[in-house]
Amino acid sequence: MRVEFFLLIGALLFTIGCVGVLVRRNAIVILMCIELMLNAVNLTFVAFAHEGQSMAGHIFVFFVMTVAAAEAAVGLAIVIALFRRRRTTDVEDASLMRW
Amino acid sequence: MDPVIARVLIESGVKIALFFFVVMTVVANMSWVERRVSAWIQDRQGPNRVGPLGLLQPLADGVKFLFKEEVAPPHVYLPVYLLAPMLIFVPALVTFAVVPIGPTLSLFGHRIALQIADVDNGILVVLAFSSMGVYGVALAGWSSNNKYSLMGGLRSSAQLISYELAIGIAIIGVLMTTGSLRLSDVVAHQIDHGWNILYQLPGFLVFLTAAFAETNRLPFDLPEAETELVAGYHTEYSGMRFLMFYMAEYANMVTASALVVTLYLGGYHVPGLARLGLSEIAAAIIQVLAFCAKVGFFLFVYVWVRWTIPRFRYDQLMNLGWKGLLPIGLANILWVSFLVLMRAN
Amino acid sequence: MVLLLGLIGLIAVFAAVRSLLPARSIPAGIAVGAIATVLVALNLRELVSLEFWSWIIGFVAIMSAVMVVIHPNPMVSVLFLIMNLFCIALFFLILNAQFLAVIQVIIYAGAIMVLFVFVVMLLNIRLEEGLRIGGGPMRSGAIALGAVFAALMFHAIRNRGEAPYFDPGGYDAGFGTAREIGRLLFTRYQFAFESASILLIAAMIGAVVLAKRRLR
Repeated sequence: MRVEFFLLIGALLFTIGCVGVLVRRNAIVILMCIELMLNAVNLTFVAFAHEGQSMAGHIFVFFVMTVAAAEAAVGLAIVIALFRRRRTTDVEDASLMRW
Repeated sequence: MDPVIARVLIESGVKIALFFFVVMTVVANMSWVERRVSAWIQDRQGPNRVGPLGLLQPLADGVKFLFKEEVAPPHVYLPVYLLAPMLIFVPALVTFAVVPIGPTLSLFGHRIALQIADVDNGILVVLAFSSMGVYGVALAGWSSNNKYSLMGGLRSSAQLISYELAIGIAIIGVLMTTGSLRLSDVVAHQIDHGWNILYQLPGFLVFLTAAFAETNRLPFDLPEAETELVAGYHTEYSGMRFLMFYMAEYANMVTASALVVTLYLGGYHVPGLARLGLSEIAAAIIQVLAFCAKVGFFLFVYVWVRWTIPRFRYDQLMNLGWKGLLPIGLANILWVSFLVLMRAN
Repeated sequence: MVLLLGLIGLIAVFAAVRSLLPARSIPAGIAVGAIATVLVALNLRELVSLEFWSWIIGFVAIMSAVMVVIHPNPMVSVLFLIMNLFCIALFFLILNAQFLAVIQVIIYAGAIMVLFVFVVMLLNIRLEEGLRIGGGPMRSGAIALGAVFAALMFHAIRNRGEAPYFDPGGYDAGFGTAREIGRLLFTRYQFAFESASILLIAAMIGAVVLAKRRLR
């Protein structure tokens, strides 16, 4: 399998995740689309690591997963705190600081 | 097709069919074992009318469940409701793919390992599929659209992920002495250096307790107890789907017992068998039977503990997982590092 | 390739028959099944080829990603994301990253997604009203940028160079194993490893503090 195949799939997944972040209203689904983007990046890293036979790509993916876990935890805690105040997870309703 | 690929496919196919058949038979008969052993503990007779010694009782139960009306209440979220029982069942069975049942044989001119997949990360695959087992419970609780099921599902999944940590920490102790993630290497190391239970008793106890919690068995079965949240996450299930939950619990028990035996009790090892000088096939058969006997012993321990110890309250349960097992597991890691250092010198 | 295209064609035919002539689904299904079996039997070699399965896994990955974005029910989005993570784990296996594949299942699909399931269950969200599609300048800007991006991708794919085919065999035996990653993590990337552990502690404390109920 050529490496372009995996790069293409990674690019497509990244785009789909991007569209999800921009288009969805629910804060939790937005966080999930961010995870989708991170996974697409992981796939690209591993594809390049395989092509260049370097384990540095794998180490990078390891740390991306760690940071993604930390960010998902804190992000969901923020969503829960927001929900407690406003009874909604709709990001359109969290518009106090918008012009 | 390439003959090598054909051979691998046939070999794996036969092993998978065999393992599946044996595990499903054990799971089906576990209810008989449970009822007879609990009756013995409680000084009464269990089922002894249906067939010799009551052995056909599980069959009768199965037929009964088959004929029960399967009511799917209208308020459930149907796709997830139908998916959830399978999500509990499948990870338990898949974990069996990496457990070694016996030594490597030379049959028909090839070396055949009595293990479906001897992957390089056997231990990690076990952890991965035990993490997958949380979803079935959580989704069953959510899809039932019912306060009690939701609470039961939430509590049960919180319990499962808390005790997964304890399992991981106990496994690290085994990993440190073995130096490899392959389960066949774990067994080989125990054959050479003695069973892990002798050197890592606290780790063994942590693993056993966490395995009880992971399979939702008493004393950790608050989320599905009848006196508590109606029936927890499987309140809205009836008929064959309820049978799936029931069998999934027994399948989880069988898998957990197999893991305890592989990681701590030397897997298929029979001490002193090499000295007898038997033929390879006879030795293999004895070792496979020894493995089955050890797993059977732990299944008996599961039933024994269930009918002896009262249930934990939910906060006691979480306290035990986080504040009890985790420190003991970490102390076990310290102890094992000390052992490894001593052995290296 | 023949098998892949044949199977896709058969699925399309069956879907068309099912939607247009629902009464004829069963005989159509039997015919499609028979043709599929014949195709598989003739192309058995392709069934065990990595390329065929890579295409199928890629297709499932992209379809589940699209469903994550489209489906109104957040819990179903979570389930599709789990399917996507499994597909990515399978890709990692194909690309010889065996440790990462299992770690992906343990951490992403087994822990992070459980967190998402918990939060969706706790907040008890049902459905969502409408998508957040702005109007006016935002929409035309988005369409323009999308067109530019699509043109870029098209150009990049059309003018790609000849990369050599690789076969998963014949590589350094330790590539992608836990031993190699451990060796690197404890020697070369040790600082990053230790700071990642501090990051996780900070995240844990932050999550607990943020989600705590105020004691009155």
